[in-house]
Amino acid sequence: MPPPLRLNAVAFISPQNHPILIRTFQKGDELKYHYVAHTSLDVIEERTNGPAKSNECYLGLLYAMDDIAAYGYITPLKVKIVLALPLTDSVVRDSEVIMTFKALHLAYYHASSNPFLRLYDTPAGVGSSRWKCFRQRVDEISRAIGGTSVPS
Amino acid sequence: MSNQNVLVTYSGHASFLVSESWKQVLAALQSQLPLQSIHWKSASRPNVKTIQELDLTFLPLDSLRDEHTSQVPVTLLEKPLLNLYIVTCEDNDSYRTTVKKQIKDWHYTISQRKNQDWLILHVVRSDIKTADRKFFNMKSSVLDKIKADFNMDKRDRCVQLSWTAGDYSPVIWADLVNKIKDGLLFALNSSVSQREEEVRRSESQRHMPGWNFCTFFVLKESLASSFEGVKLFEDALQQYNELEVSFIQVLREKNMSWFGSLIQPAPLDDSMPLLSVSKKPYRDLILANSISVFDFRIYLLARQCVLLNKMRRPSEICQKVTSFLGTFGRRLREVEATLPEYFIESWIFSSALSVIDQCDTWVPSTELDGIQLARFSASKGELLELAKTQLDLLGVKVGHLPPKPPFANTLVEEIPTPHAEQPSKRSSTHRISKYEVILAIGDQEAFYDLYCATSNRAIDMYVKAGRRKFALKLHGFLAALDIHRGRLANALTIFTSLPAHYAPHMWTSLESFMLSRAINTHAELERPQDREWIHSLLSFLRTYANDTSKELISEEGDEKYVTHLINALHTAALSLDSDLIHSDHPIMAVQVSGDTTCSDDEDLAFVDATISNRLPCDVAVDEVSVTLRGRDSAGLKFTMKMDKIPPGQSTVTLSCPTSSWGLYALESSEVIMSHLRFQWQHKSTTTTTSKNNRISLVRVPRSLRALDVQIRQPQQTELGTTSRFLLVISTGQNVISRATIKATPPSGVQFNYSEAELEAEGTGTLEVADNAIVLLDAPADSDIVISLPHSDASRYHTMKIGLSVTYNTQSSLDVIRTLQTSRVITVSLPIAVNVEDFFRGKRLFSKFTISTTSHQYVRISSTELQGPPSLNGVKISGCRPTRPVITVTPEHPVNFLFSIESSNGPVVEPLNLVIKYRILRDEVEALIRQTVEDVLSSVSGEKPQYCSVRRALIDKLISHLESNAEWVETYRATGEIVLPDSFDDGGDFHGPIRQALAQCRPETASPCPWREIKIPVDVPRMNIVTAAQITIQPSDTQSDHLPPVYAGQPISATLILQTSFHWAEKEGKQSSYKMRYDVEERVKDWLLCGRKRGDFVATNGGSFAVPLTLIALHHGEITLPKVDVRPLPVSTQGSMGSMVPGADTSQAHGAEKVLILPRGGRTTYIVGMGDEN
Repeated sequence: MPPPLRLNAVAFISPQNHPILIRTFQKGDELKYHYVAHTSLDVIEERTNGPAKSNECYLGLLYAMDDIAAYGYITPLKVKIVLALPLTDSVVRDSEVIMTFKALHLAYYHASSNPFLRLYDTPAGVGSSRWKCFRQRVDEISRAIGGTSVPS
Repeated sequence: MSNQNVLVTYSGHASFLVSESWKQVLAALQSQLPLQSIHWKSASRPNVKTIQELDLTFLPLDSLRDEHTSQVPVTLLEKPLLNLYIVTCEDNDSYRTTVKKQIKDWHYTISQRKNQDWLILHVVRSDIKTADRKFFNMKSSVLDKIKADFNMDKRDRCVQLSWTAGDYSPVIWADLVNKIKDGLLFALNSSVSQREEEVRRSESQRHMPGWNFCTFFVLKESLASSFEGVKLFEDALQQYNELEVSFIQVLREKNMSWFGSLIQPAPLDDSMPLLSVSKKPYRDLILANSISVFDFRIYLLARQCVLLNKMRRPSEICQKVTSFLGTFGRRLREVEATLPEYFIESWIFSSALSVIDQCDTWVPSTELDGIQLARFSASKGELLELAKTQLDLLGVKVGHLPPKPPFANTLVEEIPTPHAEQPSKRSSTHRISKYEVILAIGDQEAFYDLYCATSNRAIDMYVKAGRRKFALKLHGFLAALDIHRGRLANALTIFTSLPAHYAPHMWTSLESFMLSRAINTHAELERPQDREWIHSLLSFLRTYANDTSKELISEEGDEKYVTHLINALHTAALSLDSDLIHSDHPIMAVQVSGDTTCSDDEDLAFVDATISNRLPCDVAVDEVSVTLRGRDSAGLKFTMKMDKIPPGQSTVTLSCPTSSWGLYALESSEVIMSHLRFQWQHKSTTTTTSKNNRISLVRVPRSLRALDVQIRQPQQTELGTTSRFLLVISTGQNVISRATIKATPPSGVQFNYSEAELEAEGTGTLEVADNAIVLLDAPADSDIVISLPHSDASRYHTMKIGLSVTYNTQSSLDVIRTLQTSRVITVSLPIAVNVEDFFRGKRLFSKFTISTTSHQYVRISSTELQGPPSLNGVKISGCRPTRPVITVTPEHPVNFLFSIESSNGPVVEPLNLVIKYRILRDEVEALIRQTVEDVLSSVSGEKPQYCSVRRALIDKLISHLESNAEWVETYRATGEIVLPDSFDDGGDFHGPIRQALAQCRPETASPCPWREIKIPVDVPRMNIVTAAQITIQPSDTQSDHLPPVYAGQPISATLILQTSFHWAEKEGKQSSYKMRYDVEERVKDWLLCGRKRGDFVATNGGSFAVPLTLIALHHGEITLPKVDVRPLPVSTQGSMGSMVPGADTSQAHGAEKVLILPRGGRTTYIVGMGDEN
């Protein structure tokens, strides 16, 4: 049994490449994960603009740097989600990562369905500090994945 | 071993094999190589594999020794896949006797061997062979015999090659080549499937005791290298990937007894090229079960990379290496204590660099196309960045770099505890061997150089790959390094340039981090706090206000930090030498809340504004202002002096010294901090986002006691002179010390300010100015009327004139107040005048017809034709009016007749027609105003509420009268205004007003002033004025009375034509003109005898008479016939053309009638009485 996934950071990025929410689960490393989220955009762009366009949301491993592996996901409405996982010697199964992404996507989807969100605020407003719900959902997902093993 | 080609043996009769012809055949055969496009369809694989090219090595069968007797499975290609036997015999007999035996022997040996195929090649010299020989030979050929003897299954393993020396055409080889391909595939297929079966069996025994991964590995690897040998790299890589997976599986099961330790550091381990498969005797180590996991994984990786290189996928190599170095580096950290100091960092660093070098030699970048090259560069960049990260770690450990972000992260911070006492108990005596790393550890400068070089290489690669954001990140690291090294200036340049790259994506967290770094560096450098600094500080505050997370800014004392910055900003703003405008900064916002109010005792408007300060501290400011924009782009600026804006929301009252009123929209707001101006535009423009789309409207109420300006038409209008209009300035409560009035006319019209004049003396003085009217010292509660001339505006019906007044009052001289408004004035006249002239000798009668130009009724009080005082000898007299007021309606124009009697010639100077008129509507309005005033003053004694009630009442009355026109006729007749029934003000004044208005009053009762219009009239000229007269002479000359005239009686008459040149122009006047007269023929009335038509010479005052005889044709009163007199053309001297002089003829007898009696006399009637008989 592989060790359960542990999320280091999650980043939601709007279609215009504005950050929606960057959540790090390791204290003190915020700068690093902001960098990870920002640089991932380059790779996502490479993948999505490549000659072989696929309709897959899941972009797979974007890049691995030192101790971090960045995985990418792009929703049909071009909201990008970047996961930073610790780089381990064990195999990370895509199915688990995809499942995490789907949960995160759903969390974003639910949070952006908030009727009190102002239209011009979306999507960046979803992650603003005014709306705690989205943060909590993301934290919950991280806890659920890191804490208990995910049935797959 | 991977270079091994597929082996093919050949044998034959010994004598043939040494012959020259065989050598030629072999050379020709080799020239057909490599084999192209071999399609391998195997039962165990779903897809057809295509081998693009395959090289063969031909060996004589004898040279092959069975030397590989070891049990270690190596590649399947060590043994030949195909055996050839060459037959040259063309004679059936010799075949039967000897050759068949030889083939049989060979065939026997070959068929013993497993997984090898065979082929008999019958070489025929095509030049010897003749067709007829075969034709007559009834026996079968040698080839047929061979086939019959050796083809045991369906496959035909015998092939004939008819060959001549020097013939390299592929056609004759096709059959042989195909057969060779078939044979090879057959052999390959069987051997591969057998080996796969072995592998599968071995794998299934994985859980059995005694199973050895290394053995399994070697077995499987043999399969991989076989695939590699036949150029099926995909499949070979597949084998290695499977091996990796099963290795990791094994690793997870911790079933690793057959491995050596995780790593046995050898002296040069950390600096050897990673991808070399020959740097250590890996296979031997594997076979000896003594390979370490470290070496094993490197070997596996290197093999994979070699294959990837053969498949021309260099970027994948780099990616694979990156993730391998990352993951395996983590593994190594678990046993860091047993390794030489800095081993891991050094290993990863040098491996990464070596891989890049290796890839560059394998694949020159010129071989790749655009996208591939970008990918390759990107992955090289990643490798370099990995190397740089190792330097981060090293630097922090050694102390060359500070242990704080961005160099260090928590990962490293966790480690130091065991790390601290490690150097003493390092079990390994080895040292790292990478020269650069050793140098860098020892020498700080060398380390920095290495760091920069590596980073810059990575940046280069990223830039080539188009990964801007990665490059930015590395720039950030370099800047941080510069700070650490004390190269603050460098760091500042980088930090100030970086935020611009993050800003477009609103990546505020990173932007604000960079900006705060820039500000800190700036502070450390003790540079002057100039404009640039202010810009970066403002950008930082912008991100500070926007960034919700605030994770990256300095950890301690957010608020203190910002307070400090704001104070510094204020000082910097003070020292600026000119204003610095900053738009739409989010730290503050100004919004107008509610409508404005007016001050009671001066012209001042107030508005409440809400200022929100998003910073946690007070912001020191000087002034807050808000600009409202009304129609016609009239702007009002409300200001308020302030010291500071507290955090959060605060409400202040802004004031504006103005007397303008109306509906305004919030346009912009401004907060001034000495020289720094924060501005916000509230009006939506195309550039602003949808966020600011809401326009807040502000109503500025009208203060009735404030200054006001009206524009009127002057009471007197004189056509042909300069037009003017009147500016009426009501000062209201203000004692004006100076007011400047600027009027904006519509296009094409100019005002002549220098000729503006006061209508009445004593109410202030005018100062002459070129572009404005300046009024000085006007008392309160007075109306100052200024007449302002303007250029011709007749093409406008109405003019809209913008007015802007700036003024200050006696009470507060330093306050400049404004009034901006616009007024509409009707330019066109309500009446039109036409004139008709009649000449009678020395008199001229002018008939003026006055009609209205609009639907309005016009009342005319008087009309007068005035001559200039200098006019001599001219007498003008008009008609006496029958009524004091005459009404002109659209249907009925009114005529006025004047007679001009000139004693000496034509009237040269123009006369003026002066009309006093007023419009019925104005008249009624004035009447109503007066009535209301009267009623109000009689009904209610209290004054205060007076104004508002009066105004409302008047407006209401007028609108009611407008809605219904029934009252107009009654009013015209009697002067009573009968209000429509709909009027009901619901108040006390309803009854009295109705009553008062319904009173009968004379037409002149309205207090409305009469307007005067002066129209210049030119008196017409006429060259010849002729009076034609037919006089009937009495037959009896003695008596004056005309005797009775009977029908049919001839009457002698005289036609007298009197001509006068009285009205002729002096110049060009001739003494005489030729004229022609023509008496009208009216055949029903008169019979005309005499010179009915004729020419005569007209002179001034002369007359001409012609006798005529008239016979009336019937009785009754008959007017005399008319006479038409025309001048004949006068040839002018200068030109050949001719000119008809102007002439006017009047019939002097025009009104005369002649009574014709019926003809008298006797009439005899004869009446027949019948026949008597």
